[in-house]
Amino acid sequence: MNSILSDGVIHVSDRCKACDHCTSICPTGAIHGRLGQKHSIKTAKCINCGQCLVNCPFGAINDQSMVSAIQAALTDPNKFVVVQEAPAVRVALGEEFGQEPGYNAKGKMYAALRKLGFDQVYDTEFTADLTIMEEGTELIHRVFKAVGQAGFEEAGPLPQFTSCCPAWIKYAEDNYPKVLPNLSSAKSPQQMFGAVAKTYVAEKLGVNPANIFSVSVMPCTAKKYECSRPEMIASGYQDVDAVITTRELAQMIKDAGIDFVNLPDEQADKLVGTSTGAATIFGVTGGVMEAALRTAYEILSGQTLDKVDFKPLRGLKPVREATVEIPIQALGGKVLPVKVAIVTGTKHVAPVIEDVLAGRSKYHFIEVMNCPGGCINGGGQPIRRDIYTEGGLL
Amino acid sequence: MTSFVEKEGMTRRQFFKGTGILFVSAVLTGVFAKMGFDVQAASDEYIAKRAAGLYSLDESMTLRKSHLNPEIAQIYKDFLSPGEVKPLTAKSERLLHTRYGSEIPALIEELKHPAENEAA
Repeated sequence: MNSILSDGVIHVSDRCKACDHCTSICPTGAIHGRLGQKHSIKTAKCINCGQCLVNCPFGAINDQSMVSAIQAALTDPNKFVVVQEAPAVRVALGEEFGQEPGYNAKGKMYAALRKLGFDQVYDTEFTADLTIMEEGTELIHRVFKAVGQAGFEEAGPLPQFTSCCPAWIKYAEDNYPKVLPNLSSAKSPQQMFGAVAKTYVAEKLGVNPANIFSVSVMPCTAKKYECSRPEMIASGYQDVDAVITTRELAQMIKDAGIDFVNLPDEQADKLVGTSTGAATIFGVTGGVMEAALRTAYEILSGQTLDKVDFKPLRGLKPVREATVEIPIQALGGKVLPVKVAIVTGTKHVAPVIEDVLAGRSKYHFIEVMNCPGGCINGGGQPIRRDIYTEGGLL
Repeated sequence: MTSFVEKEGMTRRQFFKGTGILFVSAVLTGVFAKMGFDVQAASDEYIAKRAAGLYSLDESMTLRKSHLNPEIAQIYKDFLSPGEVKPLTAKSERLLHTRYGSEIPALIEELKHPAENEAA
């Protein structure tokens, strides 16, 4: 686990053909090597996003595996193994079994995890909902502070940035330490889940948290780094013990000889397995913002929001903005135009941060996801070789 | 990418053929990448399909707002803020929030040695 902190998650293998495509993909310039020269990754600059990995035409880039630790836990009778899965996993896992992208594999995913031997099959979407409660309330406090409402002096500055994406967090820490007070202090749903599993779940189920092994299935390679961060020990233990990608889960399912496409649909276990549609869209760019606005609107206005789709927030454009008018009950119904921005692709975030640091930013809330399109296109997702084979290359 | 295709008068398939050939030659691929062409754009189609998958799942859910999740109400009432639904309590701050950059060593110390008034 410590090797991930010192050596990073992403490594270039000997199969590197020195084509230099990855250096044009990398958002931080972390890949060392020129055309015709075998490439390597500078760990200090790498944000572990894995975009180079999923885009390498030769499959020459790998991410560090934690599968063996998980298999050991699954066969250890003393371990109580719980699992969570990110929203983006369920719409891509099917691709590894011949289904179209976007195929809803949710029910089969739960069933397959039970067959693999996990003791409790929960869902990261539960803690995505929890993130909205905490991060949304934090945003409301920052807004109240900014409009001079008494009692919110302790709140942080505006705009507030989202904090779900571990690649974005490391990018900000490495390059813009001055913007860190603007980041929501809310942990990502993965890490909230880890902390909840070894406290609340342990208490409710009467399991010794020392025996809980907490696994996370993610569309993301940076999540492996995130779970290894030394401060992620709020439960008194390492909160999330191991992370596997969508690809690695598919491989485990295949290795176990499970007939995935013919599995009956199952449900997640109760307690921390129920979720809402707001949590589901966390996996796509603009989704965290949309989920936050659905809740913030109702809490701030005291009114029911009938039209829950915020269509202007959607799309694949790297930087998008919108204004949502919210009547604030606490201010006598005064309408506050809440200005939001969404950035997808770390390459596009620097000008947005520069505006914030220069005091020019007009936004209240900014969502940042490292991968173009959001987690659905994460570095842990199935690799779409067909975009190359279509050109007759591989 | 759309403007590029129009300018050169190529179909999508021809365009991919061209890209494939360029890829086989490492030299040309590198040059191409340096010119600013982005294969990422070619993946927009499957990204859009995965996104559509999540949006249709959202639409199929009975509950579509986080604060209406009954298990969320339960974890606050039973555990995070006993008896009520109240985010940002001391317990939430400890379990669900974090700090960044230079503040991390102090956070680790606090987590390893919980304060006397808020013992784990």
